[in-house]
Amino acid sequence: MRKSIFLPLCAVTLALSACSDDDSAGAAFDDREIITDYADRVVIPTYQLLAQRAQALDAAIAALAATPSQASLTAARQAWVATRVPWEQSEAHLFGPVSASGYDPAMDSWPVNRTDLDAVLASGNALTQAYVSALPEEQKGFHTLEYLLWGESSDKPAAALTARELAYARALAAELVTVTGELATSWTAGVRGATPYRTVFVDAGLAGNTAYPSQGAAAQEILGGMSGICDEVANGKIADPYDAHDPQKVESQFSYNSLSDFADNLRGVLNAYTGDAQAAGTTGRGLADFVAARAPELDARLRAELQAAIDAIGAIPAPFRTAITTPSSYPAIEAAQAAIREVQETIDGELTRVVLQ
Amino acid sequence: MGDAAFEAAFVTAPAPVNPGLGPLYNHTSCVGCHLRDGRGLPLLGQGPTSQALVRVSLPTGTPEVPGGAVAVPGLGTQLQDHAIFGVEPEVRVMLEFVEQEGRYGDGLAYSLRRPRLTLVHARGARAGQPLAAEILTSLRVAPPMVGRGLLEAVPAAALEALEDPHDADGDGLAGRLNTPWDVARHQAAAGRFGHKGNTPGLRQQVAAAYANDMGVSSPMFPDADGRSELDDATVDAVTLYSATLGVPARGPSSPAAERGEALFAQLGCAGCHVPQLQTGEHPVAALAHQEIWPYSDLLLHDLGDELADGRPDFAASGRHWRTAPLWGVGLAQTVTPGAGFLHDGRARTLAEAILWHGGEAERAREAFRLAPRVDREALLAFLGRL
Repeated sequence: MRKSIFLPLCAVTLALSACSDDDSAGAAFDDREIITDYADRVVIPTYQLLAQRAQALDAAIAALAATPSQASLTAARQAWVATRVPWEQSEAHLFGPVSASGYDPAMDSWPVNRTDLDAVLASGNALTQAYVSALPEEQKGFHTLEYLLWGESSDKPAAALTARELAYARALAAELVTVTGELATSWTAGVRGATPYRTVFVDAGLAGNTAYPSQGAAAQEILGGMSGICDEVANGKIADPYDAHDPQKVESQFSYNSLSDFADNLRGVLNAYTGDAQAAGTTGRGLADFVAARAPELDARLRAELQAAIDAIGAIPAPFRTAITTPSSYPAIEAAQAAIREVQETIDGELTRVVLQ
Repeated sequence: MGDAAFEAAFVTAPAPVNPGLGPLYNHTSCVGCHLRDGRGLPLLGQGPTSQALVRVSLPTGTPEVPGGAVAVPGLGTQLQDHAIFGVEPEVRVMLEFVEQEGRYGDGLAYSLRRPRLTLVHARGARAGQPLAAEILTSLRVAPPMVGRGLLEAVPAAALEALEDPHDADGDGLAGRLNTPWDVARHQAAAGRFGHKGNTPGLRQQVAAAYANDMGVSSPMFPDADGRSELDDATVDAVTLYSATLGVPARGPSSPAAERGEALFAQLGCAGCHVPQLQTGEHPVAALAHQEIWPYSDLLLHDLGDELADGRPDFAASGRHWRTAPLWGVGLAQTVTPGAGFLHDGRARTLAEAILWHGGEAERAREAFRLAPRVDREALLAFLGRL
């Protein structure tokens, strides 16, 4: 699961202040087009792309199960990697239904509970989607599927896939289709009677909106999402396995997809800032436009810092799980962490000040 | 490190990463219930996720620790509704809500929802049978995580000074500190955490949550055979993390919110939801000697029959609840859409939460219920800023 700290704004640098009686934040922000475009041009298209790619993944897994071969396994792996792209980009907005309704843990929990996974595979239980859906999060979602497709050391041949594993993979993929579909719908139409989250978000500051009592609160949510994932990548996803030099702690370690995951997290931050979803082909008005009109130097610098962070991640020798135990790769790892932390500092500091005044 | 540990999902041993889940548990990680460091939803027995739990005890017998709840043989003092593969959980839980109607003084109707639990043994000789009627039960949602260290840093003497257990001043409020067992010090101590103030400090809260909620043992709460699945360093790191999560700034003010702040005092809310406290010494220097605004006296108050769980916990009776801190309450549904209020998340809005208050808070609740709509909305506008 992901870090999702609610950004404490009374003390942006250190989360220890008690907030005096009359502090307030974000009172002045007034740009509804940015909030609306963030929902319509960033969040929803990203979730819809995720749902589409999950369907393609489901089809690829069905083809693999029907005709296991190295070619169909490779196609299934490629579909898995393609589905990760919008998911990782969406981690720059881990708020709303994705966390509260459990879609994030249902899709992206880690580590895989291999002891119980092995026990389920060894049992005679029917591996239907309904059965898999009711299993704990650490036995389903992206990473359990990844483990089945790649194996422990990323070199599993198609011939090694058992019938039970293929049945389990089919159920996992079907469940991913359900979960990603519901996640997109939770914003657009609402699920199980809940108000569509798009409405909650774009109506920020209107009477009776308890989630976002002001437009500033919605802007603060955007900024918190951007900052939170930078913190998670630099100080969690990279730092946890690197500090321990332990490949077992690396996320997406079976597929060797870790560095792509990290770079897409940062691309998600860029999307949130610019109001675009590049992978989905949508563009909108973003915080970048607001900032460019008020502090063009800051806009240019943040864009440059984001690109530098993406490039620095790309400069870490792949795969990440080998890099963390290879001393010659350490400078590149630390340079990437530093570049991401610089982005986060700019978001928490100057960007927050300009947006929330 | 504490942040990472707070998010770590535990899995069945043996495993290379985070082994030690269960065998019985409520959730696999801290953050699974304390969503985004906020509150959990009143979800139980629905698919793979629970964000709430049920405490149990017997009305009489020998408590596990001096003054505490009496464990139910075979179940302990907390029901685990999940288990690792091959093990049956203790219970199957079904949670429903029953609506009950009410009216404001001006005739406007409202509806409150009351939780109704169905608990059925899932293992052992009683599998399939409902829990015995004599077993006391109490549904709890995970509380929000902000400002905990600051509350820990308020000197016990300051809380004792707020106590008035026999209502000597005749204001209708009889706040008292809970006095739970301090496991590390082997003595009773001032209770600050938990919906009934049944935990003295954050470290014990953290270790107990690992043991009871996730089935992960530590030196403070080892396995039956004395082993620990976590080391002290991890417990210390999560304790530090829990202590240092900041409180969000207030939202923008408005004339209504300013009037609501005055009404908060006039209607009597501030009698228990004491706006301001002062912290004293704390190992984390940044928490020490601060003026804080938690809107809580951290004391137990009788909140009446409607909210009573009937399950005593140390000095807390079945009608007592610890005053919930209100800082950050206006952002509860920003952090977690659909989040509820009160110990079991039954209140869908802050207005509902107020309307559930009874006992010592009945007078304040009636003042709210009978107030003109414009005043009620002003009070809610104030709470929304917090």
